[in-house]
Amino acid sequence: MYRIRFHGRGGQGMKTASRILGTAFFNEGFEVQDAPRYGAERRGAPIFAYVRAARRAIYERGVIRHPDLVIVADETLVAMPAAAVLQGVDAHCVVLIHSREPAPVWQHRLNLAGPVVILPLAEEREDRLALRQIGTACAAAAARLVGVVAWTALEQALRDELAALGDALVEANLGPARRVYDFLSPQQGCVAPGPVVAAEGYVRPDWVELAFEDARVSAPAIHAALTSEQVQTGQWRTLRPVIDCARCKGCWWVCSTFCPDGAIQVDESGRPRIDYAHCKGCMVCAAQCPHHAIEAIPEQDAPPAEDERGAK
Amino acid sequence: MSETRFQTMKDLPSCHLLGTGTALCAGCGGLEALHEIYDILGEKTVVVNAAGCMTLLAVYPFTPFRGSWLYTAMASAPAGAQGVRDALDILLAKGRLTAEEDLQTVVLTGDGAAYGMGLSATSGAIERGLDFLYLCYDNEGYGNTGQQYSGATPHGARTATSKGPCGYPGYKKDLFAIWAAHRPAYVATVVGAEPLDLARKIEQAKNRQGPRLILSLAPCPTGWDFDPSETAQIGRLAVQTGVWPLKEYRDGQVVHTKVPQKRLPVEDYLKRQGRFAHLFQPQRNEALLQEIQARIDAYWDNLQS
Repeated sequence: MYRIRFHGRGGQGMKTASRILGTAFFNEGFEVQDAPRYGAERRGAPIFAYVRAARRAIYERGVIRHPDLVIVADETLVAMPAAAVLQGVDAHCVVLIHSREPAPVWQHRLNLAGPVVILPLAEEREDRLALRQIGTACAAAAARLVGVVAWTALEQALRDELAALGDALVEANLGPARRVYDFLSPQQGCVAPGPVVAAEGYVRPDWVELAFEDARVSAPAIHAALTSEQVQTGQWRTLRPVIDCARCKGCWWVCSTFCPDGAIQVDESGRPRIDYAHCKGCMVCAAQCPHHAIEAIPEQDAPPAEDERGAK
Repeated sequence: MSETRFQTMKDLPSCHLLGTGTALCAGCGGLEALHEIYDILGEKTVVVNAAGCMTLLAVYPFTPFRGSWLYTAMASAPAGAQGVRDALDILLAKGRLTAEEDLQTVVLTGDGAAYGMGLSATSGAIERGLDFLYLCYDNEGYGNTGQQYSGATPHGARTATSKGPCGYPGYKKDLFAIWAAHRPAYVATVVGAEPLDLARKIEQAKNRQGPRLILSLAPCPTGWDFDPSETAQIGRLAVQTGVWPLKEYRDGQVVHTKVPQKRLPVEDYLKRQGRFAHLFQPQRNEALLQEIQARIDAYWDNLQS
């Protein structure tokens, strides 16, 4: 059975990629499961979707813990624990990274025993969420690497899955998908299907046993304020707003009022300060600043923000 | 409005009470309004949240609130609020809470609940004179599940369930009028992009007793299909084009709090949103655009006469 996991950010089309690949497998006569992880993840947040394909009925369910192929649409996710890109990656698993750096760099950096394949960045954009067609490129890459999906099956899947978006969009995606499919032809079939797991071979996870307690203890009640600040939504950001203190006039804190997340606080001197641990990078502040004192810089080129690790 | 403590923008709060780190979309217009509202309402509140986008505010064990939050099914937030209010009243009567410790009961719902599923429970609560504040973030569709149409969807908008060339065939319900017809203590429309107008209205609502509605337009980058950075701009355009009249109902009267002197054409608002793209591409749907403009003009013309 093939087990393929796609990692990207909300908005990069990972759900669509999994659907295209799943349909392409289906067109080749496979039994298929494809699904995104359902959750509260939003634009920019780490997202994953997965595909299982086999020649026989699939009895496995749930997330893929031991993938044969991991596709990383956004290299900045690798370092993010919440994205869990490397979960279950072993010597058997192929890792494909959409990156400007070569395979040996990633192999060394991540100390990977298995193969790394690079999908070079086709174009450089300031905001990686503005990169179009990453999803379809990733689906095409996966189809080529497993080696059992012909271009015709992939093309039909792409046309079927994107049909609702209009002909122009379908055509815009076919070109990049074909280029990726051709580019990776030397690696055709480098992904080998993993063994089907049988019930008798099931290893129970290392559960933590919890005592059965009174409802007043075990009910999901929260007894503290502002605990959401422990969630680092700053990781969603692909663009970073930076205040140019020389141009900031210390107005009536427009940026702070309009910031949907309340991630800009104003100090005693009337100067705004952005909380990068939580700023999601929506750029409402940059659009609203009357003095154009807030600039957007690409997150991948930015130095680590000083308060990125601590809550405010 | 001489009675307000919010005379100029400088009077708006510069410190924020609502916590960061929620899972709402980047650029959420509903969250923009909610954090502005919470700054003024303060932490002495119990929020009763109907299922919707704002479900994501408090995903266990995280909460952005400083006070209590109770989660209910989509149609039953007003019933939840009744229970909370009654409990507070009993504690006050027994002397277990002092008047200073009393809390505001606040319902928080999206338009799916406010205009549709929860309307019967809401009407009942107003009928009983329940002392509560009802906040609705109106993003004109069931946003948390992929923007299916709701009773708040405007005519012609594309939704997940209205994908045809003319978009949603129905018309947006007038929730302001439905509430006002109950003769409650207070009703107002707001938008996060007009924070001073919003602040004055929250101040009004906070100081009244009985059923009160704050209806906030919530520009939605995900469901309306625009770049998240444009949330405030789109909210402001909704006011400037006359799509979203800012008004309040109090003491039996409806007063418009911000009348656009020279209304911008509604196109300026529509063409910035992907959900209306089919009105302009592949060719202009002149008839539908004119119909939408005519309805807005009729609203404001009726007002003057």
